[in-house]
Amino acid sequence: MMKWVLFIPELYYVLMAVVFFALSLQRKSEPRRLYTWAVILSGVGVLVAVLSARLEGMVFFDAYRVDLYSQVFKLLLALGTFWVVLTCSELEGIDSRQHAEFYLFTFICTLGMMMLVSAVELLTIYISVELSSYCLYLLVAMRRKTDEFAETGIKYFMVGSTASGFMVFGISYLFGMTHTTYVAELMKVLPGMMTEPAAIVGLVLALSGFFFKQALFPFHIWAPDVYQGAANQVTTYIATASKMAAAAIVIRFVGFSGGESAVFIKLLVVLSILSMTFGNLVAIIQKDIKRLLAYSSIAHAGYMMIGILSMTQRGYASAIYYALAYLIMNFACFMVILKIADDGHNLKIKELAGLHKRSPLLAMTLMLGLFGLAGIPPTVGFTGKFLVFAAALEQGYLTLVIIGMINATISLYYYLIVIKAAYLLEPVNPYPPVRVDKWTKSLAIFLVIAMVYVGIFPDQFVALTEAAARSLFI
Amino acid sequence: MTSMEMAHFPILTAILMSTVLGLIVIMFIPDGRDKLVKQVSLVFSGIGLILCLWLYHAYDVEKGGLQFVERTLWVKSLGIYWFMGVDGINLPMLLLTAVVLFTGVLTMWELENRVKEFFAFTFLLVAGVYGVFMSMDLFWIFVWYDVSLFPMYPLIAIWGGTRKEYGGMKLTLYLLAGSVLILPGIIYLWAEGGAHTFDLFELARGGFSPQVQNIAFLMLYLGFGVLAGVWPFHTWSPVGHVAAPTAVSMIHAGVLMKLGAYGILRLGMTLCPEGLVYWADLMALLATVGIVYGAFVGLAQTDLKYVIGYSSVSHMGIVGLGLSTMTVNGINGAVFQMFAHGVMTALFFSAVGYIYDKTHTKMIPDLGGLSKTMPVASAFFIIAAFAGIGVPCMASFWAELLVFISAVQTYPVRGIFAVLGLVVSALFMLRVVMSTFYGEKNERWAHIPDVPMSLATPRIILVGVIVFFGLFPRMILDVIQSAVIPFVSSL
Repeated sequence: MMKWVLFIPELYYVLMAVVFFALSLQRKSEPRRLYTWAVILSGVGVLVAVLSARLEGMVFFDAYRVDLYSQVFKLLLALGTFWVVLTCSELEGIDSRQHAEFYLFTFICTLGMMMLVSAVELLTIYISVELSSYCLYLLVAMRRKTDEFAETGIKYFMVGSTASGFMVFGISYLFGMTHTTYVAELMKVLPGMMTEPAAIVGLVLALSGFFFKQALFPFHIWAPDVYQGAANQVTTYIATASKMAAAAIVIRFVGFSGGESAVFIKLLVVLSILSMTFGNLVAIIQKDIKRLLAYSSIAHAGYMMIGILSMTQRGYASAIYYALAYLIMNFACFMVILKIADDGHNLKIKELAGLHKRSPLLAMTLMLGLFGLAGIPPTVGFTGKFLVFAAALEQGYLTLVIIGMINATISLYYYLIVIKAAYLLEPVNPYPPVRVDKWTKSLAIFLVIAMVYVGIFPDQFVALTEAAARSLFI
Repeated sequence: MTSMEMAHFPILTAILMSTVLGLIVIMFIPDGRDKLVKQVSLVFSGIGLILCLWLYHAYDVEKGGLQFVERTLWVKSLGIYWFMGVDGINLPMLLLTAVVLFTGVLTMWELENRVKEFFAFTFLLVAGVYGVFMSMDLFWIFVWYDVSLFPMYPLIAIWGGTRKEYGGMKLTLYLLAGSVLILPGIIYLWAEGGAHTFDLFELARGGFSPQVQNIAFLMLYLGFGVLAGVWPFHTWSPVGHVAAPTAVSMIHAGVLMKLGAYGILRLGMTLCPEGLVYWADLMALLATVGIVYGAFVGLAQTDLKYVIGYSSVSHMGIVGLGLSTMTVNGINGAVFQMFAHGVMTALFFSAVGYIYDKTHTKMIPDLGGLSKTMPVASAFFIIAAFAGIGVPCMASFWAELLVFISAVQTYPVRGIFAVLGLVVSALFMLRVVMSTFYGEKNERWAHIPDVPMSLATPRIILVGVIVFFGLFPRMILDVIQSAVIPFVSSL
């Protein structure tokens, strides 16, 4: 069956999960060996994703589509997973007996998200979401010192399953309206029905499940606690890889409406504004850097929404580019946090003091990452915002774009506070020097170059994202 | 024939690269080699200066228009071009940037704290400034504009003086708040232009409806106006100047503030001529208020750097007034004033910088009689003060003359107020000069040595530039005019 070739990336991640399932059965745990295996396997995973980037076709009775759109996101997912695994050399946040399970669930989660971006049938989408969500619930609860953070896992699970409930309810509405669960059919029928309140309700309810993953206001309440309560590596995974899948599916679902409903678009505009403003304003007062980034992620979900709600090909392309940018710069910030807090504790902003002396390279990576998040050129974050705003202004959303820019300026304030800590503050009592191994060093250099290169030479990346957005509609 | 051959050599990119390469080289110098960092900085800023001087010499005034053009498609789907060129308006600005950077590096020769980072950030900043002045593509103008702004934060907050963290944060947030209007303004024009290009001249050719022009011009004017120190958005400027270290004050007041005025001229006025006509009244009003307000507030200051800060507000008001007249003389004068004021404030800040380094105070009452202990250092400040007042034989004399002539013709009442403002500013300059450098000698500073030759060099260069263009104003006016005359006739 040649068709199975299309499913190779997913099969590869199944294989990885099987390998780590076997390793988890061992009585004696050897963290170093597990780490080496995980790095190699997930590195090959990136290669597999690259090699299968040009595949196209349908499998599983047309419930599963492999096209450029899905393959780009699979590549981003594989890349995010690989980077997160790379930073696990000191996985102190998780008990060493559970390291094999950590990798196991990470890979299954990635598998679920890869299926999510390819799924074009509502029930398949639902199953993929749940597959990845349940792994995340477990990963969050895995943190050492469970008593302290027990609330986190439960909260995440409760909110998450409620959101899933909404989603299924919304999907049932969509099915009731259109008598189909196939996305291709939906996209034909639904735009004509967007005047019906039931269609809007169904779509919004179904979307709320994905907004939850994306941490868009008002579905964000889990984010700060989970970011803070989960082990640093797990937080990194949630903040980078899982955001990619959320973006992919939100773009697909918003596209269902075909831009036919003014009410629906207005609703998205309001959510986008609230998300940006709320996230940025609350982030200002944070002391814990993971919490700060959690609120910043809420704001970024809002920025990305600006591109999505333009409902044009350029808009979707800009959102994909933004997702790529967000992956790189957010990961850069988290990598620095992981390396400074190598005993796995939660990092306070003031602990960054004197970072420019303790590790100039990490300080620079952090600064570029934060400037990227704030949207300062010549970083990739600026180009992302530029594309998103261009798409929105093409549709005439001038006020929305100005609000977005005001928010970018507000956000600059708290990013500057972090940069100030790294570059200006002198530590009161000397913190231990940061250990930067060879892997981290090359990864940091790679990220710095990537942040500037993709920002300054966006042409081919823009072309790629536009091609990907085109394949959404074929 | 040489100009034909050289036209293929991307001289503008080379000038830009002189700072980018300098930045990269500085970053790879191992820690602790401070001397080497300074030498490398001097070499790269020197290369930039030589290239700019050559450019200034090679620019064909007779022919006018945009020369040394480089144009490559950058992002296809958005119509972004790597489009650079020089004409009579940005050529003096490039020269100004090169002069101020070169003298700024020399001024900071005695820096000891975190030398490598200081020069790296400075070069990044100047790369942005060069980029804005050269680029003729809206996307790149904005990119470089922001690149030139954000290094200000570390530069002020790490190496600054009075209330440095507050000053740095205020300045950075204020200036980037200006971008809040500029970026949507630029993309708005792109979206309305229909041709989907960020090429400045193609957009200008396409034209916009009056309503679009009114909105876009206001956005660009207010956005860039923040950086140009337009009253009432100027409050970051004195605070920032005071907090910044000497070379940063020089670059900032000397060059960076010009970016704002340049942005209004290059983007706002070129793309939205009808918007300009619509808002010119407001521009003239704000500029006049700025001139008068800056002069009066300057009168009340006791801190040398605050004095210069407010005089900058006043002088940048003159630029704004000149632009708002929409006449050849007015815009000529405005561009000339941008150049003259840039060199002059650089001299001001570098003169104060030396005094502050040695006495650790810049409060006027604490000083006094300095001309007796350090005559050379005092002379630099006094010359700058004369230039600021607009004494003949100084570059700014011509600039201010041109602006005021056309201002009185176009806006009689405001023009007269502006001239009165200038009189007040003469008053406060002279008052500062008198109480700081003359009068009773303060024995506390008797032991301080005068400026050594090495540190005097950059100041002498600046004085030279001021006097040269004061004596030979046509050397620069002809260049400026070659761009302004076609520009005004197209309005």
